[in-house]
Amino acid sequence: MLSSFDPRINRLGLPESAPPPPDKAALDQFPTYEVFHQRKENAAYAYVGPVHAPEADVAFLFAKEQFSRRFPCTGLWVVPTSAIQVTGYVGDQESVYDQLPLLPADALPAAAAATDEAYDIFHLKKRGKAHAHVGQVRAASPEAALQQAKAAFGDQRPVVNVWVICSADVLRSDDDDRDMWTTTPDKKYREAIAYKVQDRIDRFKQEG
Amino acid sequence: MYGSASTHDIPAKATTGLENEDPILLAEFEARIARGEKIEPTDWMPQLYRKQLTRMIEQHAHSEIIGSLPEGTWITRAPGFRRKMAQMAKVQDEVGHAQLLYSAAETLGKTREQMLSDLVNGKSKYSNVFNYPTPTWADSNVISWLIDAGAIVNQMANAKGSYGPYCRALDRICAEEAFHLKYGHDAVVHMATGTPVQRKMMQEALNRWWPAIMTFFGPSDKMSVHTEILMRWKVKMATNDACRQQFLDMYVPKIWEIGLTLPDANLRKNEDGVWEFTEPDWEDFKRVINGDGPCNAERIAVRRAAEENGAWVRRALLQPQARYVRPLA
Repeated sequence: MLSSFDPRINRLGLPESAPPPPDKAALDQFPTYEVFHQRKENAAYAYVGPVHAPEADVAFLFAKEQFSRRFPCTGLWVVPTSAIQVTGYVGDQESVYDQLPLLPADALPAAAAATDEAYDIFHLKKRGKAHAHVGQVRAASPEAALQQAKAAFGDQRPVVNVWVICSADVLRSDDDDRDMWTTTPDKKYREAIAYKVQDRIDRFKQEG
Repeated sequence: MYGSASTHDIPAKATTGLENEDPILLAEFEARIARGEKIEPTDWMPQLYRKQLTRMIEQHAHSEIIGSLPEGTWITRAPGFRRKMAQMAKVQDEVGHAQLLYSAAETLGKTREQMLSDLVNGKSKYSNVFNYPTPTWADSNVISWLIDAGAIVNQMANAKGSYGPYCRALDRICAEEAFHLKYGHDAVVHMATGTPVQRKMMQEALNRWWPAIMTFFGPSDKMSVHTEILMRWKVKMATNDACRQQFLDMYVPKIWEIGLTLPDANLRKNEDGVWEFTEPDWEDFKRVINGDGPCNAERIAVRRAAEENGAWVRRALLQPQARYVRPLA
């Protein structure tokens, strides 16, 4: 048995040595969901990172834990990574919309069809920064949604990269549940400001 | 944050492979970095860039996971409820950082599953300081303050690097670190300015940890072709020596200020503003990093047990139709 000075480790009864385990299967953990958060009321949702989860509800719980516990947050969206359509990347001064194939003037339908779905559009303004939500369009496919997005948001610059997400694939926090974002006031120990260490150092030096 | 980028670099004598890269794509790639633009996952990149960044980010992620063990073991024994809660919050942060970092590394093409396998197989390294034990609460405090401080020096530099996903992860990680550093400093100051017994315990912990802290940034860089290229590509943002000097400059005065001493008679700042110190025992460093340290086997065994004990949960919840998808950003 592996022996440690730490009684907590000894209680685990771990073997002294063991043959290396076989490599994991390609997906032994869970699939990923991408998470977007809202820093304050009325601010655009911005990309914060992925979580691994077996399903969307669990992804939301993990995302809340991972991305909202330390900083202000007023809303959270989670989306399966596989549901996000990603364009190519262009340089920091350019717009990726300029690279879309030009369509004939009548290619964009004048009126939305009843079967059209809503799509959420996210722009990356600068390489290395995070994607932010710019709005919704209605279209029949992700490709058509990208053309609609160009018409609606194409004048914004720069646009380094665009994410197109079918709105039905987004699990969103509910406005009625807003009180879940209220950080418990007695968790000040997680804030740097709660540590008044200089007072103690000064006192120590005076007494020195 | 526990990462130190220098745990294991590509051997200096290994070929750069640049002669096999497409010269036009390489020139465009270098021009983008020179303009100050970040590289994003679907951009063309040289093999050496992909390989070194994968290694660096993966080691950083492993360091967060393994580094949480010596502090995590003190949660239940932390003195007082407030410290228990704070220690728990810090350890939770670190494990969260590992998740962000694994995803950033995955965008370069290596799966998280493969990284987790390579950690327990011993194929990947993590920061060598975690192969040493934390026999007392004061040792845990030294990690919270000074190992985190060292990691912050490193990560603040790396956050200005050229790879977009790593920068995004580090921005978030650095924002969470402010609390760790204050928490660790507060804990050390509390002990150092406390009773004689507390003070003695802190001094002994510092004496135990100082040699490891001095190796934290790795040996002096040999200015090889690799180093020169990786600095031009903004993969390596500062030399190991520059990081060590910055750390000493920021923290030695803070250590002395609370009446603690450091176990190196040669440690001093010379007239040129450069810190002089006794060269760490790099032979010992090599021996420990290659497996022969006081806690190597224990760290990996604990990590492996956690992995194996959780396997049934993952099996039970994994949807049969779930497929691996590489994280986007």
